[in-house]
Parts: sequence; C-alpha cells; structure tokens
Amino acid sequence: MIRSLIALLVASLAACTLPQSDSRSTPQALPDANAFPPVAQLLDVRCGSLDCHGTVARNLRLYGSAGLRWSASDRPLSPTCDRKAEVDQDYESIVGLEPEVMGQVVASGGTNPDALTMVRKARGTESHKGGKIWSEGDDSDTCLVSWLSGKADAGACAKGLVDVIPGGSSNPLAACATLPPVP
Amino acid sequence: MRRRLLALAMLIVACDPVHDDAISALGGETPGVRKGPLHRPGQPCILCHDGAIGDPQRFTVAGTIFQTPGSKTPAEGATVTLTDATGNSIRVATNAAGNFYLTPTEYDPTVPVQVVVTESGGISVKMQTVIAGNLAEEPNNGSCASCHFDPPGPTSPGHVCITLDDGGTPP
Repeated sequence: MIRSLIALLVASLAACTLPQSDSRSTPQALPDANAFPPVAQLLDVRCGSLDCHGTVARNLRLYGSAGLRWSASDRPLSPTCDRKAEVDQDYESIVGLEPEVMGQVVASGGTNPDALTMVRKARGTESHKGGKIWSEGDDSDTCLVSWLSGKADAGACAKGLVDVIPGGSSNPLAACATLPPVP
Repeated sequence: MRRRLLALAMLIVACDPVHDDAISALGGETPGVRKGPLHRPGQPCILCHDGAIGDPQRFTVAGTIFQTPGSKTPAEGATVTLTDATGNSIRVATNAAGNFYLTPTEYDPTVPVQVVVTESGGISVKMQTVIAGNLAEEPNNGSCASCHFDPPGPTSPGHVCITLDDGGTPP
C-alpha cells in the first residue's frame, strides 16, 4: 500500500516537472514595430498582391491595400492605403517566420540579413516561386534591411514603392509611402 | 513503352483534385452558348486553358471586361493593353462577351505586367497594381478572374469594369 502511494506520488511529481529550459524560447530581439509602416506598405505592393502573398494560402501572409484586406468591409485599394491593423498583422507574419534567425539578425544590428529566408527569396538567391523581386542594395532591399538593422530608411521604402507602381508618383498608392496607416 | 509513360504522365497531370474541384465549381456552360470565344464570361479562363493536356488551347493572359461593378454588361470593343517587365507590349480587343485572350505565340509576358483598359468611347483605366504572380508555375494567375471575382470583398475587388456605377473610374 505504501509502495503504491509512493509510486503514485513520484508519478504525480514527474508529471508536474517543468520543461527543461530551452534557448529557443528565450525572448529574442525584435525589429522596431513603430518603424514598420513604410516597410509594410512596400511589402504590400511588392509582395502582397492577390496572386502572390496576398492570399491565405501563403506561409508569409500579407494584408494591405494593394491585396488582401484584413477588415471584412474593406476592398482592395479601398481605402487606398494600409490600415493599422494590417500593418500589425504583417509585422506578426514577418517576425513569426523564422523567429530565432530574426532575433539574431536584429540583435546583431542587421549583420548578415541574408540569414533570413525572406531576404534571400526577395533577392533571388533562394528558390522563390515569384522569382527575384529586387536586388541587394536597391531601394526596396535597403528598406527591408535597414529596418532589420534598427535604422529604418523610410525614404528608401518610398522610392522602392514609387519605382514599381504603374504611373509612378501619379499612382494614388504612392502617397501611402509617406502617410501613417489608416486607423 | 514511351506511350505508356506518356499516358501515365497525362494521368498524373489529370489527377489534381484541387484543380478538378475548382473547375467543377465553375458549373456547366450557359444554355445557348457553345464552347468558344464567347463562353463563360467573368470566369477564370486559364483554369481550363492552361495547356496541361493540349486541349483546350493554352492562354497566357485572359479575362472579361464588364461595363460597371453592378452589372454583367460586357464592355465589347474595349482595348486591353498589356506591358510586361521587359517593355514588351500588346493590345487586344474584347469580343461581344467582353472576353479577351492571348495565346503563348501571341504574347508570353514576363511578370510584372501592367494593364490598361480603354473602352470604345475612349475612357481609359489603368490598373494600379500589376499582374505579379508566377505565370509559369501558376498559369491561372494570368486570368483576370483569379483575383477579380464576385462578390467584391476583402479578397477581391470584384469583376473588372470600365466605369463605376456612378460613372467614376474604378481604383
């Protein structure tokens, strides 16, 4: 009887043991969410169209004005610019893709951003169904990489956006590059 | 032996349940409209016209232009101008159903592709975004209706139209 009780007690204690500490669950450095809106607007236009990452079928799911909308009452391009909720969702999508690598890149001040798959895919150095989207060092690449380094270059984001949208600066989307997200 | 392998390959190509379900969801032909250039306006043409088994013929870019968001009146005689990443441009007119289509020999674009639609009266609408999806691996991205389907909502702006119901130009 006593043996059975002891065995039960041991089994109960074993069941309540906390998991081993895991370095992977250590809080990692995150990129600046406050500086993300211009980056989000660029990613929305360059990556988040309805036929690419603006669809629920993608691991990297992007919401935004040029594609998939977060609010059930919104439509693509109406309102013209990203909403705050969409920027927040995109931030979660991006930091959640490879959290450990993201943490290392951000903690190192943006050293070796190529460690991130999304950076390599956009540069075309990693297999990407959408092909090469931009080149290392151009405005769009600088927009993303500078944000990861903690020195976000909103000007590069705006230039990268205007360079690719039909009609350039006359396209209504161009204004979104410098405006805060719609509430 | 080669014929058997070819038959097996065709069988594998034909056995894509997701693709088959998507086609089934389109429903049957409209009574009185036979298969051809005027059929299935507003549907994603390249879902079937992907050239997977040779018939029907493959299209690279295809779709339907309607007059307004609130109606299915076709914009007959509209001109669709496509310009791809290399600057290669083509103009194609819509038929009586509002349909247009391009075969690979006519136009095999490199994405991203810019689109401008000009109606017969001269009103011109430029698509503010581009066709950006990989047309080689996902040919249906070349269908207007792969993105522009009804009803309008968070995942679609609705069918392609030339003017808004109030006469304005669509975004």
